[in-house]
Amino acid sequence: MKARVPILFACGILLMIGSLMIVHAPIGEAVATIFQGSLGNLKKISGTIKEMTPLLILGSAVYLALKAGLFNIGAEGQYLVGACFACQTMVMVPGPVGVGLGCLVGIVTGALWALPAGLIKAFRNGHEVITTIMLNAVAANMTKALVAGPFKGKGQLVPSTAVLPVNSQLTPLFTFRDLEIPQSFVIGIVVVVGLAYWLNKTVAGYELKASGANPTAAQFAGIKTKQVTVKAMLMSGGLAGLAGALQVAQFEHRFYDGFATGYGFDALGVSLLVGSNPLFLLASSFFFGLLNKGGTALSLIGVNKGITMVVLAVVIVMFAAVRYGRKQVNHG
Amino acid sequence: MILAVSMQGISKQYGSVQALGNVTFEVEKGTIHALVGENGAGKTTLMRALYGAMQPDSGSITVNGQAAHFHDSRAAIDAGIGMVSQHYGIIGELTNLDNLVLGAEGGPVLMKGSMEQRANELAASMGFEFDWAAESSTLSPAGGQKLEILKLLWRNSQIMILDEPTAMLSPQDSDALYESLKQLAANGATVIVVTHRIAEVFEHCRRVTVLRGGVKVADHDVADVKPEQLAEEIVGGTVIERPVPVSNERSNIRLRIDALSVRGSKGETAVKGIDLQVKSGQLVGIAGVDGNGQRELFHALIGVSKPMSGSFSFDGNQWDTEPGSTRILEGLRVIPEDRHDEGVIEEWSLYDNSALGLQRLPVFRRLTSAMKSEAPVMAEMFKTKHGNLSDSMGSLSGGNQQRFVAGRALRIDPQMILAFQPARGLDLNSTTKVYQEIRKACDEGACAIVVSFDLDELLDFCDRIVVMCHGHLSEPKPEEARDRAAIGRLMVGAE
Amino acid sequence: MVSFLLQIITMSAPLILMAMAGYMSERSGVINIGLEGKMLAGCFICAAAGAHFGAVGGLAFAILACIALSLLHWSLTQMYRIDHIISGMAVNLLASGFTGFMDSSGIWKTTLTDSQRLPLPMYYAIAVISPFLLFAMAGRTQFGLRHKSVGSDPDKARLLGIHPQRVRFSALIMTGVFAGLAGSLLVTETSGFTKEMTSGRGYIALAALILGGWRPIPATAACLLFGVAKAVQIRFSGTPIFNFDIPSEIWNMLPYIVTLLALAGLLGRNRTPAGLGKH
Repeated sequence: MKARVPILFACGILLMIGSLMIVHAPIGEAVATIFQGSLGNLKKISGTIKEMTPLLILGSAVYLALKAGLFNIGAEGQYLVGACFACQTMVMVPGPVGVGLGCLVGIVTGALWALPAGLIKAFRNGHEVITTIMLNAVAANMTKALVAGPFKGKGQLVPSTAVLPVNSQLTPLFTFRDLEIPQSFVIGIVVVVGLAYWLNKTVAGYELKASGANPTAAQFAGIKTKQVTVKAMLMSGGLAGLAGALQVAQFEHRFYDGFATGYGFDALGVSLLVGSNPLFLLASSFFFGLLNKGGTALSLIGVNKGITMVVLAVVIVMFAAVRYGRKQVNHG
Repeated sequence: MILAVSMQGISKQYGSVQALGNVTFEVEKGTIHALVGENGAGKTTLMRALYGAMQPDSGSITVNGQAAHFHDSRAAIDAGIGMVSQHYGIIGELTNLDNLVLGAEGGPVLMKGSMEQRANELAASMGFEFDWAAESSTLSPAGGQKLEILKLLWRNSQIMILDEPTAMLSPQDSDALYESLKQLAANGATVIVVTHRIAEVFEHCRRVTVLRGGVKVADHDVADVKPEQLAEEIVGGTVIERPVPVSNERSNIRLRIDALSVRGSKGETAVKGIDLQVKSGQLVGIAGVDGNGQRELFHALIGVSKPMSGSFSFDGNQWDTEPGSTRILEGLRVIPEDRHDEGVIEEWSLYDNSALGLQRLPVFRRLTSAMKSEAPVMAEMFKTKHGNLSDSMGSLSGGNQQRFVAGRALRIDPQMILAFQPARGLDLNSTTKVYQEIRKACDEGACAIVVSFDLDELLDFCDRIVVMCHGHLSEPKPEEARDRAAIGRLMVGAE
Repeated sequence: MVSFLLQIITMSAPLILMAMAGYMSERSGVINIGLEGKMLAGCFICAAAGAHFGAVGGLAFAILACIALSLLHWSLTQMYRIDHIISGMAVNLLASGFTGFMDSSGIWKTTLTDSQRLPLPMYYAIAVISPFLLFAMAGRTQFGLRHKSVGSDPDKARLLGIHPQRVRFSALIMTGVFAGLAGSLLVTETSGFTKEMTSGRGYIALAALILGGWRPIPATAACLLFGVAKAVQIRFSGTPIFNFDIPSEIWNMLPYIVTLLALAGLLGRNRTPAGLGKH
């Protein structure tokens, strides 16, 4: 029994090394490339920060839901819907006002996109994972139809909105040679810190965590757990929508078919690795950003990014297994 | 007289607790035999030994004249013994027929035709009727109980153990159930009924065995014994002179319950239109055997379940329509039954647990700092043994969790204290201390309701005792208010 | 008309096989969002092994690989007691990463010649027959009954001497078999592996399973419904209906929206197995 978790670890590591060996990839070089490609110079660090930015906010979104006992796999869809509508808003209303309005629209539409999942979970006992998977697929199709139709920008050859006017595009907050710190990165850090404060210092945050940790005890403590479920999904969706809006304003400057690149699923991984202190979101999203950026570099030397997904799968499983092991000790 | 079951000198020790001490239990073939006793008297333990679910430390078991050594339930089932436990064993999503045969299908392929034929024969022999293709979730509690009995017949049980079979049934359904059992007995089956309802014993059973504190107290032909005598044997006849707790009762009524009915988890009416008024300063104990509606009453008062009908108010605030959080703001404090599930969050630290349930009180407006200052006080109140207050609650033993939960409930201005088995897992000293604190709050004007299955504990500490039996609430006559035997009779429905 | 019917079959058959894979797992109580990954792994292994060992070898290895992945899922959920969602996600990540990585490394050939492919009608026949077989299994066999009981209430089943973990072990093996078949079918149709070629079919199959109330025949009906929607989309794309050109995305969304309505309880009662995700 005691050997179980170590066995799992051994298998995971063997799997990673084995995969690399099958394709005769030089293991040392692969690892070096990941670090070189993500942290090698200021430009590469900027790239890692860029990858990390949406994950900060999306990770916060998923983490908040997780604390309420919900797996918000739907962050991807909420992010898409938020980005799509925010982008159209920013196209129609140029300038800083439009950006503010766009963020607001992103938050609202993202929250609304999460609402059905919250309601079905609270009042129909339908698993939020299933509903959000469905909502993700609907979101992908719906936004695609929108940018191919009503939201399509003039002169765009592919399904895409118009490009944001220059005065709506967020500039980097801070530049030092090749190092760029985007504004949305700072907003992301603010979101993480704000979330940490809200969860740990406020009664509302306390009640949300209680509902997630032990719904029965929460009910005995006078907490309306169903309302908390709906609220958590709304907040989570709102944050995901904000992430989408900022991604448009800061980096993409338009919304197009294929806008999502799996950030929503990465965010789930980000939040699963966090544990009990929300500030670890910073480290966790950095790790994911590093893997994403380093993975791109890896594909340049002929090793597919897929290996980084394998690494993630192994890390997540190990983390979950260790947490289970700890619980066992407590109950024993 | 042919003995179907003969258990001789059965003893079982759990840790330092003697669950069964040299118990002898004999059941005549073809009869309905009642096994009665209070909670914790050892009834279920004795039956688990017969069913092979527990191995006694010593003693011998003979079934139909053959020495039996059951290492597991499978062996007991093969010997023709079947048991319906208190835990409802019907899976709602399966059909009635599926539930009937599950685990005893008789081969890899289900012969639906012949299965249904045999099922119908069994049902007909008992006078039951079942729609075999219907889902079992549609069964009434009585229908479920009938199906459980058919499950035993399906497995060819000749000796049937029924643990509190009428707990969820209406009187009519109970009577019908016993009619079927009598028929089974007439056909040569042996039925052992574990119960605490004396009325059932006198109406339906041939013999009765009384257990108390793990020891056999008496064995009677039902015809030879009077209800009063049996009730006394169950709760114990020893009368210890004890001082009546002094109460500082005032005239103003704080909690007022009117015609309250609450539904139980299986859809039955668990609390049946009870009335109760509690005055400032009163510490009311609810006596009764487990499962007579006390739990459901508590859940309604706390706000985790909604009443079917009736109302209740505290200080004129209509609590039945207010959310639970408001009740807490108005002074409700709870020591829940299952601290593990209902009272604490085990993954959290003691600090974090200190605000649970009280989080909206003004004291906790500055949440983190308030938890830092309150947790040590709550832990100290009943001497909770803990490593560090930042350790997880799960690292504490059950008794220490209970100490912490009690401290939390009584620490900040309690006005209406609800305590369900507050002494569970506590030693005598801590128990006294908890009741003293409750009493102190009452003396300052609060009121309290305590549920316990231990009558002596209630007599020791409560100034007023009411009894719940089968969902009804009753109060002993004023002259018998402290009379252990009289209360015992109410508890088992002998009056 | 014939081509239209063929189109429906082509669209539905892999979904049906995947829905059956999902049925075996979910009805026994193991939440399976890892269907997508299992199917993808089936595709890749069938293509790679088929190119090496021929048609039968391709299918055999695909099934074996999917069984292995299923049993990994089993051990994560049943032995390590890792949350079913997390372990399902890990399976998906693993499959997606591994197939993408192996495919682009190019060390294994993943295109099939005609002789390396089993005839499509065989797969279609299996897709048609298996729902009925599973229906019969559920209603007429000891295993079927126990399978259902552990998915409904593992604790009560345990009291009756049934071992939920063992039943789920067998069930997940069958999940692997069906996923292997579905993956092979997809590869056989397209003659080769392409990255992420399952493109959400695992999730659609899951949707069909939910829509069918976790029952084989209604789930198959839901797959057919989705197949028809897709076939109609292909047939009529670009053709305005009532002067309105319905974007293909609307058709694509349909299965998911219908499933959402079902989960919201707007299409009859919720039939989620009560023991889903429980130990």
